[in-house]
Amino acid sequence: MELFSHAKGGYKSVLDPRTKLLMLIAINVAVMGTGFQGTDYFVRVVCAVIPFVLFLLIRKVRTALIYAGVCAVMLFVEGVLIPSTSGILNLVIVITSGAFSRILIGFAFAYYAMCSTTVSEFATAMKRVHIPDQITIPLSVMFRFFPTLSEESRSIRNAMRMRGIRLGGKKGGLLAQMEYRIVPLMMSTLRIGDELSAASLTKGLEAGKPRTHICQIHMTALDWLLILIGLGLLGYMFFLR
Amino acid sequence: MKNKLNTKDLISIGIFTALYFVVILIASFVGYIPILMVLMPALCALIGAIPFMLFLTRTKKFGMVTIMGILLGLITFLMGRPWPSLLIGVAAGLIADMYLKSTGFASIKKSTLGCGIFSLWLLGMALPLFFGYHDAYMESMRPGYGDAYVDMLTKLTPDWMFWIVMVTIFIGGLLGAWIGSKILKKHFAKAGMA
Repeated sequence: MELFSHAKGGYKSVLDPRTKLLMLIAINVAVMGTGFQGTDYFVRVVCAVIPFVLFLLIRKVRTALIYAGVCAVMLFVEGVLIPSTSGILNLVIVITSGAFSRILIGFAFAYYAMCSTTVSEFATAMKRVHIPDQITIPLSVMFRFFPTLSEESRSIRNAMRMRGIRLGGKKGGLLAQMEYRIVPLMMSTLRIGDELSAASLTKGLEAGKPRTHICQIHMTALDWLLILIGLGLLGYMFFLR
Repeated sequence: MKNKLNTKDLISIGIFTALYFVVILIASFVGYIPILMVLMPALCALIGAIPFMLFLTRTKKFGMVTIMGILLGLITFLMGRPWPSLLIGVAAGLIADMYLKSTGFASIKKSTLGCGIFSLWLLGMALPLFFGYHDAYMESMRPGYGDAYVDMLTKLTPDWMFWIVMVTIFIGGLLGAWIGSKILKKHFAKAGMA
């Protein structure tokens, strides 16, 4: 999974990062809180369609199709099977689909937001809404750092396996094994942190001048449409229900 | 201007928040066993304290711990916890920061208490189990985890348990900080990194 990847393949990010943030909150609130009947169900369908369209727009066709397939089954189960069954069968279906469906849509949108936003765009958008650097820089470093961490820990795990240290292995108790994992991870975190600071120095982040950028961030018609939908969702959740 | 945060500090906050959060996430997998669900925040505090102590060796200015608290609060909020969890994160960060400033960020031994205070942000994670959020949260878990699990959990989490969880988190944080300082001394001080 590439987070905050630099836009390859020539497409530019379709939505403004501000819109993505609003939609992320709106979709999560709406999907977590709605039930399976009437208007609630309609709201869920709307939420489910949005990530699908967005995946297509950033040309992740395979992801879009897989997502659409899973979502269609899920919505079919929610809309058709649950109301028309009863008793134990109903309970079983609710148990298997309920938890999953609440997470899937929000997760899909978060995935879209992550892989379609570059660090530069994110920083610029945060600047536009007057969020101070003290929040923006740690936040973007943090999201950028998650994939690095998983890469590092994979290497560490391999190195440890080579020395015969693994869960259930003979060397060391549980605590010692934890130490063998966490300490190298902390070491490499420190080292990477120093490297990042050096890189930021060469980029002149510390100069104290306003940051310049070449990425284009502006609201398009699609942004306004989605903001309307997002506000609509939030309004529905907080006032109409 | 010596006390102003520079970019290096901000980057440290970013990477250590990421490390801290990942470690906590791994520790929280234990929480699928209902009995341990109550102890889970304390366990998270215990293990999370180890990278946090390393972070504290890098903090020499007021504000870094606070920002970390804000970030963690934001993540908890975005993960669908009720909004007071954001406030808990900010408050824990701020109080720990003020305490650490009063000690001058100098002594590892005194940082232990600061680490215990900071760990209390985890209360935000546990918040939906208690008070007004309890019933709704239990209902939302029922489909995913099954009735037996939820009933057991309900029995384990009356409201007064919140305060016990608070105490266990604090103790977990202190204990973790102690282990962390041992690890720092063993591995990092020798290499000149702490």
